[in-house]
Amino acid sequence: MESLGLLLDGFAAALTPVNLLYALVGVTLGTLVGVLPGIGPAMTVALLLPITFTVPPASAFIMFAGIYYGGMYGGSTTSILLNTPGESSSMITALEGNKMARRGRAAQALATAAIGSFVAGTIATALLVFAAPAVVSFAISFGPEDYFALAILAFTAVSSVLSRSVVRGLASLVLGLAIGLVGIDQQTGQARLTLGVPQLLDGIDVVIVAVGLFAVGEALYVASRLRHAPPDVVPVGRAWMGRSDWGRSWRPWLRGTALGFPFGALPGGGAEIPTFLSYAAEKRLARGVAREEYGKGAIEGVAGPEAANNASAAGTLVPLLTLGLPTSATAAIMLAAFQQYGLQPGPQLFDHNPALVWAMIASLFIGNTMLLVLNLPLAPVWAKLLRIPRPYLYSGIILFAALGVYALNASAVDLVVLFVLGLLGFAMRRFGLPVAPAVIGMILGPMAEIQLRRALAIGAGDVTVLVGSPVAVVLLVLSLLALLTPLLRGFMARRRMPPLPVSHED
Amino acid sequence: MSSPEEPTLQETGRKRGPWRPELGLALVVLGLGVFVVVGTLDVSAAASRLGPGPRFFPMLVGGAMILIGLFYVADVLRGGRGDPEESEDVDAEAPADWRGVGLVSGVFLAFTAVLDVLGWIIAASLLFFGLSLALGAEHRVRAAVIAVVLAVSTYLTFVEGLGVTLPAGLLSGVI
Repeated sequence: MESLGLLLDGFAAALTPVNLLYALVGVTLGTLVGVLPGIGPAMTVALLLPITFTVPPASAFIMFAGIYYGGMYGGSTTSILLNTPGESSSMITALEGNKMARRGRAAQALATAAIGSFVAGTIATALLVFAAPAVVSFAISFGPEDYFALAILAFTAVSSVLSRSVVRGLASLVLGLAIGLVGIDQQTGQARLTLGVPQLLDGIDVVIVAVGLFAVGEALYVASRLRHAPPDVVPVGRAWMGRSDWGRSWRPWLRGTALGFPFGALPGGGAEIPTFLSYAAEKRLARGVAREEYGKGAIEGVAGPEAANNASAAGTLVPLLTLGLPTSATAAIMLAAFQQYGLQPGPQLFDHNPALVWAMIASLFIGNTMLLVLNLPLAPVWAKLLRIPRPYLYSGIILFAALGVYALNASAVDLVVLFVLGLLGFAMRRFGLPVAPAVIGMILGPMAEIQLRRALAIGAGDVTVLVGSPVAVVLLVLSLLALLTPLLRGFMARRRMPPLPVSHED
Repeated sequence: MSSPEEPTLQETGRKRGPWRPELGLALVVLGLGVFVVVGTLDVSAAASRLGPGPRFFPMLVGGAMILIGLFYVADVLRGGRGDPEESEDVDAEAPADWRGVGLVSGVFLAFTAVLDVLGWIIAASLLFFGLSLALGAEHRVRAAVIAVVLAVSTYLTFVEGLGVTLPAGLLSGVI
């Protein structure tokens, strides 16, 4: 197997002391921000972009990979010990996990989440090793019209899956697309939508958009309705589990992995759907003690969804690395990081920079192992972080947001743009617009434009080139389905229910 | 879109005029769509030999924004609503605390105004101190100590350690 040889080379590159240190920094930072409310892996990678610019790309991506996986681990700690999770991907874990913790089984819940994440992450990364070259060999013949169709599929799928309301998902997407338009057109050098502000000629930096929408938006949202009661954290010691817990956990881990990986690899798949499916599957398969415990804190309901969560994170890397297609906000920021280094993820990346790609994949295995070692004994330390008084926590988040954005260009104009985007992020949260479509639209929009113009230039103005290849047709039909499915579902639900029975009752 | 709220008034028992806060966001989407289209009109359409010029894609995006904005406005007027995001520290039932939002915004904008003059250490200390009080910190002294420690340590780490440019301001001779 050619990819196995390349992977071994990747391990050789990732196992140098310096790169191991970057991996350790990455997983520690990732766990930290995953545990802390208010910040997530997407914003962390964005904030680190300007700082890691002096670091060689391989080391930077080893660190980003660590942050990405670490964030997944940290999220589970928060949802088990504190119940109300921020990241939607760990919402399901809280259902059984927090009930387990309240019954005095916090250590076992954390252990099955950590070990399950390790198992799922390792298997899913191995699947990535085999899936990626297969996708590359298929995608190598893609033309610009196929890439354009792929971007359209990502846009529509992300907008319709992440929100209950399609129009709100699409509104978020077009806001991102509009932000992506600002600046000089790459092909003709024309300034667009800059309002004559010279600082906007280079476009609005992805760091400012991500930090504004995520961090400042979240801080303003929290300021508007802060829960004044102190957080109710379940105390916990070292995470461990006994023999019967192992016996009850390993099958859910494997089933969760099988659900998580393919969903993560689909555009718009994300972690929400597979974690929910895994929860439902474990509930249906529960027998004996598990059946009685389900709903009161069954270990199966933590093991399965956590495995699915981590497997989907690895799945997300398949379209990102092989097609340059981000399907989550964090993946979109990593794509921007590749672009900052002058690299374009896609089939060519595996040809031109195999050392970088395989070192990054190898570091996923290494980071996963580090996380297991870090998380089992250190659970009490992470739990302490959850008690940081909220006024200090959010003030600190804004301070680091301002630092990261100012470090970009040493410009106060950027800070004002940051605040305006923060207001937008606040409004989006308050009215239930998902943030991820905006980030993906902003980063993928300019690439979609290039491919569209390239395709139309090849077709000499003939619009039918966009449906000229079977791949493009299939992708566009799927996009249409992604848009129409929620509409149809809503329509069916409305027909089944008699229209507004309330109007006569009072 | 004329008076669509009539039949649904009793549904929630609350009185709802046609104006709802979310309408503001929907109108922003619509307005930005118009802005994108109008703002693109003065871009010169040269170099069209290479296929579609620099106006083509913005026009598509602007058009899509206007269309989606109209649907969004219609949805809000018909009583549709999104689910406010859930989060660890957010009490979804609490009424909006506009004073808190205003204070946080004010502190942040003041920070951007004075950063270059006062320098990172002083401005960031004031930022942290002001924000934590605005967010309800109870111990003023503790907040002040944390603020100064954070500002000094970030300055030392990022400027001396990582080579990031931050303004020294008033303290330029001292540190």
